[in-house]
Amino acid sequence: MLTAALNIAIAAVLLAMLLSLWRLLRGPAPEDRVLALDTLYINTIALVLMLSIRFDSRLYFEAALLIAMTGFVGTIALAKYLLRGNLMD
Amino acid sequence: MTHLPVLPILIPALAGFALLLLQRASLPLQRGVSLIAAVLGLVVAVWAVTSAVETGPLVYELGSWPAPFGIVLVLDQLSALMVLLTAILSVTALTAASLRGDAAGRVFHALFQFQLMGIQGAFLTGDIFNLFVFFEILLIASYGLLLHGQGAPRMRAGIKYVVVNLTGSALFLVAVALLYGATGTLNMADIALALENLDPADRGLVQASALLFLVVFGTKAALLPVMFWLPDAYSAAPAPVASLFAIMTKIGVYAILRVYTLCFAPLGDDAGAFIAPWLLGAALLTLAVGMIGVLASRRLRQLVAYMTIASVGTMLIPVAMFTQQGVAAALYYLVHSTLTVAALFLLAEPISRGRHGSDDHLEPGPALASGNTLGLWFMALAVAAAGVPPLSGFLGKAMILRESAGHDMAAWIWAVILVTSLLAVVSFSRAGSVLFWKVDQNTAPGARVTGSELAPVATLGGLIVALTVFAAPVQDYTRSTAAALIAPQSYIDAVVDYGVEGRADAIHQSETPTGH
Amino acid sequence: MSLLLIALLPFLCIPLPLLAVHYGRTACAWVTALGPAIALALLLGSAPTVFGGETVTVAWSWLPVLGLELAFVLDGYSLLFAALILGIGLLIILYARYYLSESDPMGRFYAMLLAFMGAMLGIVLSNNLILMVIFWELTSISSFLLIGYWRHLAEARQGARMALTITGAGGLCLLAGVLLLGEIVGSYELTTVLDSGELIRAHPLYELTLVLILLGAFTKSAQVPFHFWLPHAMAAPTPVSAYLHSATMVKAGVFLLARLFPALAGSDLWFFLVSGVGLATLVFGAYGALFKDDLKGLLAYSTISHLGLITLLFGLGTPAGAVAGVFHIINHATFKASLFMSAGIIDHEAGTRDIRRLGGLRHKMPHTMWLATIAAASMAGVPLLNGFISKEMFFAEVVVESERLGAAGWLLPAVATLGGLLSAAYSIRFVHDVFFGDSRESLPKEPHEPPRYMRVPVEVLIGICVAVGVAPALVIGPVLDVAMAGVLRGEVPYYSLALWHGFKLPLFMSVIALGGGLLLYLWRDRAEALHERVFPAITGKGTFEAVLAGAVALSRGITRAFDNGSVQRNLAWLLTAAIVLGGYGLWTGGYSVGDAHQTPAPWAAFGIWAMLLAAMTALVVLHRNRLIALILVGVAGLLSAVTFIYISAPDLALTQLSVEVVSVILLLMALRLLPEHTPRESSAGRRLRDGALAVLGGGGVAAAAYAVMTQPFTTISDYHLVNSVPGGGGSNVVNVILVDFRGFDTFGEITVLGIAAACVFALLAQGASATESAHRESNHPLMLLVGSRVMLPMMVAVALYIFLRGHNLPGGGFIAGLVATVALVTQYMASGIHWSERRFTGSYFPVIGWGLLIAGATGVVSWLFGAPFLTSAYTYVDWPVLGHFEIASAMAFDLGVFLTVVGAVVLMLANLGKQPAHGDKEESSWSS
Repeated sequence: MLTAALNIAIAAVLLAMLLSLWRLLRGPAPEDRVLALDTLYINTIALVLMLSIRFDSRLYFEAALLIAMTGFVGTIALAKYLLRGNLMD
Repeated sequence: MTHLPVLPILIPALAGFALLLLQRASLPLQRGVSLIAAVLGLVVAVWAVTSAVETGPLVYELGSWPAPFGIVLVLDQLSALMVLLTAILSVTALTAASLRGDAAGRVFHALFQFQLMGIQGAFLTGDIFNLFVFFEILLIASYGLLLHGQGAPRMRAGIKYVVVNLTGSALFLVAVALLYGATGTLNMADIALALENLDPADRGLVQASALLFLVVFGTKAALLPVMFWLPDAYSAAPAPVASLFAIMTKIGVYAILRVYTLCFAPLGDDAGAFIAPWLLGAALLTLAVGMIGVLASRRLRQLVAYMTIASVGTMLIPVAMFTQQGVAAALYYLVHSTLTVAALFLLAEPISRGRHGSDDHLEPGPALASGNTLGLWFMALAVAAAGVPPLSGFLGKAMILRESAGHDMAAWIWAVILVTSLLAVVSFSRAGSVLFWKVDQNTAPGARVTGSELAPVATLGGLIVALTVFAAPVQDYTRSTAAALIAPQSYIDAVVDYGVEGRADAIHQSETPTGH
Repeated sequence: MSLLLIALLPFLCIPLPLLAVHYGRTACAWVTALGPAIALALLLGSAPTVFGGETVTVAWSWLPVLGLELAFVLDGYSLLFAALILGIGLLIILYARYYLSESDPMGRFYAMLLAFMGAMLGIVLSNNLILMVIFWELTSISSFLLIGYWRHLAEARQGARMALTITGAGGLCLLAGVLLLGEIVGSYELTTVLDSGELIRAHPLYELTLVLILLGAFTKSAQVPFHFWLPHAMAAPTPVSAYLHSATMVKAGVFLLARLFPALAGSDLWFFLVSGVGLATLVFGAYGALFKDDLKGLLAYSTISHLGLITLLFGLGTPAGAVAGVFHIINHATFKASLFMSAGIIDHEAGTRDIRRLGGLRHKMPHTMWLATIAAASMAGVPLLNGFISKEMFFAEVVVESERLGAAGWLLPAVATLGGLLSAAYSIRFVHDVFFGDSRESLPKEPHEPPRYMRVPVEVLIGICVAVGVAPALVIGPVLDVAMAGVLRGEVPYYSLALWHGFKLPLFMSVIALGGGLLLYLWRDRAEALHERVFPAITGKGTFEAVLAGAVALSRGITRAFDNGSVQRNLAWLLTAAIVLGGYGLWTGGYSVGDAHQTPAPWAAFGIWAMLLAAMTALVVLHRNRLIALILVGVAGLLSAVTFIYISAPDLALTQLSVEVVSVILLLMALRLLPEHTPRESSAGRRLRDGALAVLGGGGVAAAAYAVMTQPFTTISDYHLVNSVPGGGGSNVVNVILVDFRGFDTFGEITVLGIAAACVFALLAQGASATESAHRESNHPLMLLVGSRVMLPMMVAVALYIFLRGHNLPGGGFIAGLVATVALVTQYMASGIHWSERRFTGSYFPVIGWGLLIAGATGVVSWLFGAPFLTSAYTYVDWPVLGHFEIASAMAFDLGVFLTVVGAVVLMLANLGKQPAHGDKEESSWSS
């Protein structure tokens, strides 16, 4: 039962990732693409966590944590670039 | 427990680390640290040579892990010779830099020590992946040294240099991966053992790996057709740096010698047989095209840079014969050409400075204030470089000619070597007569060169003379070195010892813990 | 022993003139003469031994592998030559003292002259063929310097280079020939080689060897068609012309012909090649001399002609011919050197050596006139002078040997007579046009006799000419005998040195030559007109320069074809080489796919990989927009990390993620320095080339990787798995490999990181300081500012956590360092460089330095326990509160890694951040 639910959830997340990727490719504005990338990161966290449950491994949690962190910082960097054209000033 | 094999790497490494800490300290202090480290390195290198002669290959198991499971350093005669040569160049180059030119950049001395660390490591390591690591170290450090002091031509040359060499590094990884995939080991001696019982299904992979290594090391050594990153980079580099770079192409030569006489020897019937035709062809073409480049050069530094390429071609011709005498002649020529090219790069600096406006362009310029002294040195080094009697270049070339007399391709080898020698004579006499004789009287002469400024050149020149006079003892050394390369069993035995059970069993039994 | 001293004395004395020149010109000349004088005395001291029939040899080992020995031999032949070299050398030193002007650097001249003298002595005394080649090339080099002595003259520089090129090329041929000779005989010892004539001539390599050695000899002795360097070498000061280019160096070629005579001569090839070339040179040189207006040019061509004559004599291949050849070498050296010195005197005193401007000098320089006339008469072959006797011998030999040519037998004597006739004509011209006829008014100087001692050398030589000419058997007979014993190594044939041989053919030939020469001189105007009509002005020099210029142009073309400075072309060469060689290896060795166990892939994985492919395809299409390209690279990084997680490589995944974000930040900073779009630069052909390389290269690597992964194999990593806990004290094998099994690799790689930081700093530091003050404090988005400061401690805590557990679970110093870097860089982005540097540190070099030092020190500490560098140790301690805890030395090493990573990456990013953007255009375009 849980396996089936997980499979459905994973499929849903994959679909979400696919749609994020579509937005990322379509744009049209750079801001759209950055947001899409951010969403992709969040989707990935979900995917990793669900895989973690599915394979019953706690090692994946750190990966999820790191994805969250790097996704956050990456988005900051891109946003700052779009806003200022300069990351550090 | 002797730590000798690791010292040539550790001394510059620790000096480099210290210099990073001293990055804001005064220049004289940095110079002092750097020079002390270089001299210490020279002492250790001399010790390494004597010890390699007396005790045979010296194996150093890093982290106490036995080969092939950990990384080992191996100090044999070949490594010791290369280490000594590097140490000599490091002292002269550093002296030249301290007399003039190290003030322009703020991390010069640290980069210089790291460069040394990379070179010495490449010569000493017995592990093919560790060789990659040292290639990275010396590549990044040399890139920094190349850009030291900046300027647009250096940036341009630097881009070409680093892009081509990084691509070469990527190929190195591919080659190592293929080899590891086929043999499951990274220790060079162990690879040789593994290849003795090679699964026929893996032969294609191993051959591809062996040939890719030729491309990789050929890039480092500047072989045709992957040699053209060199002329711009070397001629744009500051003189002391270019002088140290004289050893860099020889790292490629060293790696070719090491890998094909040791690791890949089981691929053919004789040592190097598998690679020999490719190597010989590339070497002949490199010599020819390199010397054509010498003739085509419009600047002195460019000429010397192409001369570097041509000399690599010359020394790889006898290497490609993979005989004891051939390799011995090649090693003698290697020592000679490294010293000569290094000295020429150092000499190019006062010449171009003395000709201020004309720099080192081969066109009439102002009279050199110290023209006689510089001219004399130029002539002596040109004689050495062109392989004209009586200096070591001639002895080396004559030995190469003699050793190749029995080869199938002897006619080609002789023709290429002799014709390129003539091209060298023509090019150097043209360059010399333009630089020192064809003076534009309307311009004022430049500054005089002091005696101390030429001390590094004189030291290298003295070594070239010594190499000529004491050719026989040097040749004795290179001959015993070559003998050990052609029959590498003593090297292999020193590194890995599987005892009576044989390699396959030993690797399987490794599943019982050993600890230390 | 004294033989070695004789050979080396001139070299040892090279510094003397350079020092003595400060004490005046006469002192300089005396000091210079010292060495050669002692050498000559020593030589004459050994002469009785040689005349007694002994051969003196000495030898020291130099390079046995090459067969090279420092070996010298003194027999009759080398004694004769050595005496000529030293004797004439001394006369030249005296002459040059008065010839050189105040402004000429005399010390340098004498030093170079001594160097040449030593080299020339070396050639004639060497008992080792390779040693002889060494000295041979040394004469080329010293000749180069002497010809170029007046470096400000273009013709001197060109002449010097031409001489070096031609004789240098010959020297290389000689080297090849000598090496072959050594291969054939098995020894490079001259005396051994000379005794192996039969063996050599029977060997299949004989022809090649002979041709190579002859090329050496012919170039040096200016034989047709290599003769043209010699006239241009006349740009040298006249003492040099007299010494090198008439008496000694050009004789090296014919010396060699005689020296190797027993080893090489006697075959048909020898006869046709040597005598043919000699004959052609004899006539060509004499003909050329007739029309030269420059005194030295005339003498140069005459020298060529006489060298041809000597070559022809050796070419006959008979002992008697060789006797005549050696005899003429002596005679030519004496009369030609004195002629050159006379020409020098005329040039010196009259200011010109153009025959058309000279005339009637007999009144002003009567003494010189006599000297020059006698020498010229000897050159023409007038009786009672030495030139006559050797010319008679020459004619006699030619007549005897003409039988070998059969029906064409008359040709040899006829051509020889023609040579003699031309020789007489130009000799008459030399004397008559200069000393007789009308005096010219417009000479640059008022001519007068030279200083007394400038004439002495000429007088000495003329004395020898006359003495030999009048009483040959008495004066030169014994010398020639002993010399020929050396050359022929045994019986010397009967020959007669008498003046009178009766009314025979040679005498008639002499008469025809002398009479015809006189007639030709009288009709020379008509001859000259004919000459100009028949021979267009093709000069050897012009051809030489054209060939050289062509070679340089060609070489530039070739070099440019390989390297036009383009990075792409360099990469294309590299990749082509890799594809061809790698492909060849794979193809010939056999490609096979194995059936090793393969991990199954569920549909979710396929979904991820499909997205990865889609993103990469989009990257190829959209790559010209740099920002989109960067975002897509980010996607690829993320999806790769997911793949790593899926295939249970958590360490890789964590590394990939943290590297990914750092690279995005790095590239974003680079992006602001670049245009928004990549310009379209390459042509269709180049794109095709690059596309093909990409497909082949990528495809090849993929195919090879597939083969590797499907083949079953055993690796050393089993050992790592087993020994990780007991040996390395950690259960995360990846980390134990990094910090222990292969800690040395890591040690190297963190050094690379430190170096990279230093490089970035060296590259960027200069530009940064100027703009630093321009950055303002304010204007940072408040939300970001506050949010990031809250995040800082949490991120650092994550970093510490990953660091501490790294030895046993996924993590370690490298990943932790990157996470900490990200934490710090977030502050840089949120609050600005200024704020961050004030709070963290202004320079990250100490962080890197300490990091590397800690890693290094951890390795060195193991020395204290008698273990190699980087040997690890671990133990368990019980800490209050925290409990049972493992302490491993590898942790200290990992701390070094951590610090280095943090220091290096933050340093790079911060320095990039300080760079002023080009035009700061983004500021306006995005914020509006």
